[in-house]
Amino acid sequence: MNKTTKCTLNACFILCILSIGYGERTKDKMYERITGARGCYRRLNATHQIGCSSERDGSTGVIFYAETTEKLDFILHNGTAPPYIPVMPVKILTADVIRKLIDSGIVSGLVVHANNDTLDYFTHDYQCPNPLSSLDGTCKRESLWNPHGTALLFTDIPFPIFYLEEEEEVWKIRDCFKKFNDFDYDAQADRPLCSLELKSFMYATTDTPTCKRRSSIMTNLNPVKFCDPLGDSNIWSSLYPLVEGSRNETVPLRNHKYIVISARMDTTSMFEKTAGGNSPVTGIVTLLTLAKYLKGILTQDDINRAKLNILFILFNGETYDYIGSQRLLYDMLNGYFPVKGLHETNDILPIIRPDDIKLFIELSQLGNNMDKLYVHYLQNSTQIDSFYSKLRNYSEKIKDVPSSMPPASLHTFMKKLPSFPGLVISDHETSYTNHFYNSIFDDAVNIGFTYDPNATEQNSLQYFIANVSEVIGNSVYETITGKHYSGKYTADVVLVNELFQCYLEDPNCKVHRATQKGKLPKVPLSLYVGVDHVANYATTLTSLTLGWLTADDAGESNINCTNNPRNYAFKYYNMSKSIQELNVTRCYKITMNTTDAISPAFIIPDYNWTSGQYSTWTESTWTEMNVRIFLKPSSAHEKMTIAIGSLSVIFSFIFVYFVKSRSHILFTPPLPTEAPTDC
Amino acid sequence: MDLTKVSNEKKLSLCQWYFRIGFLFLPFVWAVNAIWFFNEAFRKPAYEEQKRIKKYVIFSGIGSSIWLILIVSWVTTFQLNRARWGAFADYISFIIPVGTP
Repeated sequence: MNKTTKCTLNACFILCILSIGYGERTKDKMYERITGARGCYRRLNATHQIGCSSERDGSTGVIFYAETTEKLDFILHNGTAPPYIPVMPVKILTADVIRKLIDSGIVSGLVVHANNDTLDYFTHDYQCPNPLSSLDGTCKRESLWNPHGTALLFTDIPFPIFYLEEEEEVWKIRDCFKKFNDFDYDAQADRPLCSLELKSFMYATTDTPTCKRRSSIMTNLNPVKFCDPLGDSNIWSSLYPLVEGSRNETVPLRNHKYIVISARMDTTSMFEKTAGGNSPVTGIVTLLTLAKYLKGILTQDDINRAKLNILFILFNGETYDYIGSQRLLYDMLNGYFPVKGLHETNDILPIIRPDDIKLFIELSQLGNNMDKLYVHYLQNSTQIDSFYSKLRNYSEKIKDVPSSMPPASLHTFMKKLPSFPGLVISDHETSYTNHFYNSIFDDAVNIGFTYDPNATEQNSLQYFIANVSEVIGNSVYETITGKHYSGKYTADVVLVNELFQCYLEDPNCKVHRATQKGKLPKVPLSLYVGVDHVANYATTLTSLTLGWLTADDAGESNINCTNNPRNYAFKYYNMSKSIQELNVTRCYKITMNTTDAISPAFIIPDYNWTSGQYSTWTESTWTEMNVRIFLKPSSAHEKMTIAIGSLSVIFSFIFVYFVKSRSHILFTPPLPTEAPTDC
Repeated sequence: MDLTKVSNEKKLSLCQWYFRIGFLFLPFVWAVNAIWFFNEAFRKPAYEEQKRIKKYVIFSGIGSSIWLILIVSWVTTFQLNRARWGAFADYISFIIPVGTP
């Protein structure tokens, strides 16, 4: 064995030993990570900041496990070792409790955890959602849309809040609390206490103009992005193409008018997790089912004869002052819809303006009341009246609510165009039947959904949604053809069932497997709009689904299923034939497309932030969001440590001084080797 | 540089140059001058150049103190008013702290 091989072997051996080593910093060893905690973060609009932030290095506090508000009061009045971090069940997270915690001044953070309590309501949106961007007078004091709303979601909370779902982690905290903290409260300061460190430090403060300005200052030596605008994409699709003619020579159908069927795409919650069962999933599922149903009963000829096409639009970011609809209307008014930059007389696509919309049907929350459906509209018009009477003909359950308009994308259109013909279909008359609006508990349980592979249960949500789709679909059919629908085609209950599963339980559902090949995580997809430069999975998957359900068959599935030569009116995709035949693929010609759902406030140069015209929501950036548990030493111990540290520093100075002053005794001076020559 | 090994004329010229360079908005040079030549100016037995060195040391000391007062008062004013001044404060900053108004 030569020297080099030996050396290499030795090096390998040393590396092996080193790699078994446990490379954790000593200062981190005193902590234990709490996994799965979902933080609350900061958002900003033109005038305010909302949400939570921790201190720069994390907020720490002594754990106090409180099952009830009485226990919480006890520690707020008798705590001797502040600051505290209460850990409490999610049920007592109310505006009153938060106010109390802020006022006490001895709370540095809060952890709420899930348990088996049944909740009557849990919604932290406003009592009148989107108050500044909705039409004045549509939310009345005697009939608030969201009466249980605490508005905590829109409150600036000076400490971090985390939501903990994992039971094991809650037990870990509880056990530590019982062992070290939960006795002899008067002398708590004299002993080591179990504590938490919550880290969720937010970079942005004050308001959107401030953080946008700070993110774009050129002279800044350390450029930091403080916040990002909220935004994603709106999805739209037409029932039949907006153009006619053979593939390479299509011409836009300029004289067509449109019926818009819309729903919202997003929800939100106080924490970094969303559910969205009733709002928006019931609306999305109804829209998608309706798309398939209408594709089945209406033909291209019907559309051409009536010169009336159908546009399906899913608006994104509606929770935050109608971002998606504000942008779409802005685009429409500027001639940027469907695509920006087309000339009025182009030969690619017709330009669609608000005047071209003959009727706007918005599907709101539909899953919490299966006995009645309400049709809200503000003013009577022939279109609305005749559509309502058609709905009424097809179902007894329909009831109209004149001069009423729950929070909906339609507000955006009616604010700019007061006589815009639109109506909102919902499960509520004067206030939400959904008591968990925009919260983590607006889940499958809230709307009573259980996956039923063959959809046999007649009284289920699935049948109800299919039925609603048929009623609306038949009325739209009658509006377009002028004839009562008497065919045998029915809405697809199995599809409804699958779609609910896609959004509420498992994204790897049959519908998503039919439209794309990617593998997805087995947790429900987030329906929070997110920030503008990140595309949401949910939006992409929904756009494929909508495209698929309104697609035209373009022949055999093969590698030639591409948009070549390019036609801007279509996309071509290979997709499964149906959810029952996932392995049979066909080539589909799709009219679906997306448009930016980013508020016009961020694209208009020198936008006047104080005008209140458009949504200005941004989300702060942050680097870390986590929770750790540790044992905080008693204050006597802490003081002792710092005293010993300081003393040893002082002694070391004295020692070095003495060594230096007596260096000639301690060290023999070097003898000069040669005599200096220059003296 | 060890001043004990330098001739008195060299000391004077060094002190003089430090004093002059300080006028280029370099208060630290004045501060260094004042501290470095303090012993030469006030503690050493009198020699011919000492009088002029003393003068430069005193003026450098005064100059750097004025600078110190100005800087401290500006920093205090700026830090106290940064949030209130809004856009103006941001535009004159080279580093903007995160998470503070």
